[in-house]
Amino acid sequence: MFFLTYLRRELRRRMRQAVFIALGLAIGIGLVITVMGASSGVKAAQAKVLRALYGIGTDVTVTTKPKPPPARPTTGGQNAAGPGPGGGHATVCLNGKCYTSGTIDTLAGGDQGTLSAATAGQIARLHDVSAAAGGLLLTDNRIVLPTSSSSPLQPPTSVSVDGTDISHPHLGPLSNGKLTNGRAFTAADANADVVDANYATANKLKVGSTVTLAKTKFTVIGIVTQPQASSPPEVYIPLARAQALATDPGTGHSMRGKVNTVYVTAASDADIGAVQQEIEHLLPQATVTSSSDLASEITGSAASAAKLAGALGKWLAVLVLIAAFAVASLLTMAAVARRVPEFGTLKALGWRSSRIVSQVLGESVSTGIIGGLAGVGLGFAGVAIIDKVAPKLSATVPSSGGGLQTQVAGGGSGSVAAGPTGAAASHAATIAVPMSASVTVGAIILAVLLAVAGGLLAGSFGGWRAARLRPAAALARVA
Amino acid sequence: MNTGVQYETLIYRLAGVSKIYRKGGREILAVRDLDLEIRAGEWLAVQGKTGHGKTTLLQILGGLDRPTRGRVEFGGQDLATANEARVRKVRASSFGFIFQTFNLVPTLSAQENVEAALIPLGVRLAQRRARVAAALDSVGLGDRAQHLPGELSGGQQQRVAIARALVKAPKVLLADEPTGNLDEDTRDEIVGLLDTLWRERGLTLVLVSHDSSVVRRAQRIGVMTRGRLSIRQDTRA
Repeated sequence: MFFLTYLRRELRRRMRQAVFIALGLAIGIGLVITVMGASSGVKAAQAKVLRALYGIGTDVTVTTKPKPPPARPTTGGQNAAGPGPGGGHATVCLNGKCYTSGTIDTLAGGDQGTLSAATAGQIARLHDVSAAAGGLLLTDNRIVLPTSSSSPLQPPTSVSVDGTDISHPHLGPLSNGKLTNGRAFTAADANADVVDANYATANKLKVGSTVTLAKTKFTVIGIVTQPQASSPPEVYIPLARAQALATDPGTGHSMRGKVNTVYVTAASDADIGAVQQEIEHLLPQATVTSSSDLASEITGSAASAAKLAGALGKWLAVLVLIAAFAVASLLTMAAVARRVPEFGTLKALGWRSSRIVSQVLGESVSTGIIGGLAGVGLGFAGVAIIDKVAPKLSATVPSSGGGLQTQVAGGGSGSVAAGPTGAAASHAATIAVPMSASVTVGAIILAVLLAVAGGLLAGSFGGWRAARLRPAAALARVA
Repeated sequence: MNTGVQYETLIYRLAGVSKIYRKGGREILAVRDLDLEIRAGEWLAVQGKTGHGKTTLLQILGGLDRPTRGRVEFGGQDLATANEARVRKVRASSFGFIFQTFNLVPTLSAQENVEAALIPLGVRLAQRRARVAAALDSVGLGDRAQHLPGELSGGQQQRVAIARALVKAPKVLLADEPTGNLDEDTRDEIVGLLDTLWRERGLTLVLVSHDSSVVRRAQRIGVMTRGRLSIRQDTRA
C-alpha cells in the first residue's frame, strides 16, 4: 500500500523524466515489433511461395536427374525439324519418327528424370514420413504442320499438365488450389481434368468444356484458383491417365508406372531433416529438396526483404533497444543520485536497503511497462504503415532442384527444335508475392518482456547505487 | 514527565571513540578519544564550530556511522561492532532523527512522511494512521496532514520532521541543528516544542547546534573542539 503510494507519487513528480524514459523504450520496443511484424510478413510471403510450389502439406519433394540420352547416329537424328526434302513441306522428327503433315500432340516430362511409381509407397513406409504421393509434371506440346509448302510453320503451343494422385488430395500442387467451380476428382474419373482459373479464362473454358492433351479429349470437371504467389500447372489430370499418355523424353518410352516427383509429408516439422536423410539413404541418386532448401534458392525482392528484415532490421532494432536501455539506465541513475539524501533519510528511519531498491525498481519497471505498452502501440502503427506502403514483392524460383517447373515452348517460324528433353525449355519463374506484415502474440509477449527487462536493467543500476549508500554518507550530501 | 533528577539508567556509554575520515589521501580526525555517558531522559546539547565533529558524534550515536575505534554501547549492545541488520533495527525502533534541512520526502504528504517512519516496524495500516494522526496533533499540524512539504513553511516542515521522529516512540531523539534553517521566532517555537516533548515524554534528547540560545536550554552542554568533547555545564545535580 505504502509502496504503491510512494511509487505513484514519485512517477507523478518525475513525470517528464518518466515520459522521456518510457518514450525511449517505446521507440525501441516499437521498432522491434515492427521489424518482427515485417519479418513475419516476409516469411509468410515466402511460405506462401513455397506452399504454392509444393502444396500445403508437402515438406519434402523427391526428384531425380534425367538419364543421359543414348548415343545415336547424328544423320537423320532422332528429333529434328527443317524444310522437307526438296525444300517442300516442313518435316518434324520426333523419337525417330518424322512427320510432314498433320498435328503432333505429345505429353512429355520436363527436365527431370523418372522414378518408379512404387517409390512413393517405399517413401511412405519410412519411419518419419506421414504420407507420400507421386506426381507427374508434364508439358503437352502441340505442333500443327502446314498442309502446303507455301504455308508457314506455326509456332508450337504448350500446356503445363500435372498428373495428380487423386488418392492423396492433400499432397502436390493441386492441394493448394481452391475449387471455384465444378468438382474435385473422384476415383471414377479418367478422361476428366481440372483446369486453372487463369488458363480457363484465357481459353474460354468452363465446366463441361473439353481440353485435348496427347490427342485425347478431357472434360473439364472443375476450375481451381491457386494462390497469387504461384505459377501453377494449367491442367490437372489423374496420375494414371498421365502415366498412360506421357512419353519419357529421355527414352522415348511410355511413362506407365513412372512418376517424376514424389511429394512427402514428414510426421512433424522437427522430422523434416530426418526424412531427408532417410530418403537420401533409400534413394542415393535422388534429389531431395525441403522447403527450407528451396527457400534458400528463392531470389528477388522477397528474399532481399527477408534478408533486410532479418539482418539490418534486426540489428537496427537491437541497437535502438540498447540505446533506449542505456538512456533509461543513465537517467534512472541520475535520478537516484539526486535522491541520495532522500534514501539516506529513509535509511536513517530504519528502511532496509532491499526496500529502497525495490522502490527504485518498482518505479523503473512501471516506467518500462508504460513504455512497453506505448511500444506495442507504436509497433502496431509501424506494421500498419509497412502494410500500406510496402511495395509488392517478387520471388524468383529456380526450376532446377526439384522446384517449380515452368516451361515455355521453344522454336520459331519454319522450324521447331525438339530436343531429348522435349520441345520445351525450363527457366526460372518470377512471381508476385503479396506481403502482409502483422503483429504476432509472440511479438507482444516479447515487448512486455523487453519492457520489464528494460525497467529492471535501468532500476537495478539505480537500485544498486541506492543499496550501497551508507546513511551517514547519504545524509552528508544534504549538509 | 522529566523532573531533571531521574538519571539512574545509563542509556549510552562511549569509550575511546575516534572517527577518522580519509579524504584525498589525508586523514581527518573528526572525533578523537571520546568518552561519554548519557543517562536516560537526559537532554545533552553539543555545541561547537562547523567541522569540529558535532554531526559525526551524532551520527555515531544514531548508528548512522561507525567509529574507527572505540565502543558505543547503547542498551547493552555495542553499535560499533553490531552487524548492520541489528543496527538498522535499533535505528528503526529506538532513535528519532531531526535534521537541519528537515529531510522530508517531497512527493509524500505530511501524513505519509510521518508514516514512513513506521514502515520498518511493520505496524498495520489502521494503527499506523492513528499513530500518525496523534503525532501530527502533538506538533500542532493535525490539519495539515494532506499537505506536501512544499506547501508548508520551514517551521511547519520541521514540525512534520519532529512528528516523524516521535511517531515510533523512540528512546532517544537526535537533533542535528534543528533550528539551523529557521528564523528566530520559528527557532524559539521549535525549541519550545522540543522542550515540551522532552519533558512530557521522558525522552533522551541529544541536540547538536552552534546556536547558544538553543543549547542553553539543555541540562548538560558539551563543546566539541577539533574532535574532542568537553562538558561545560551540568545542571543535573
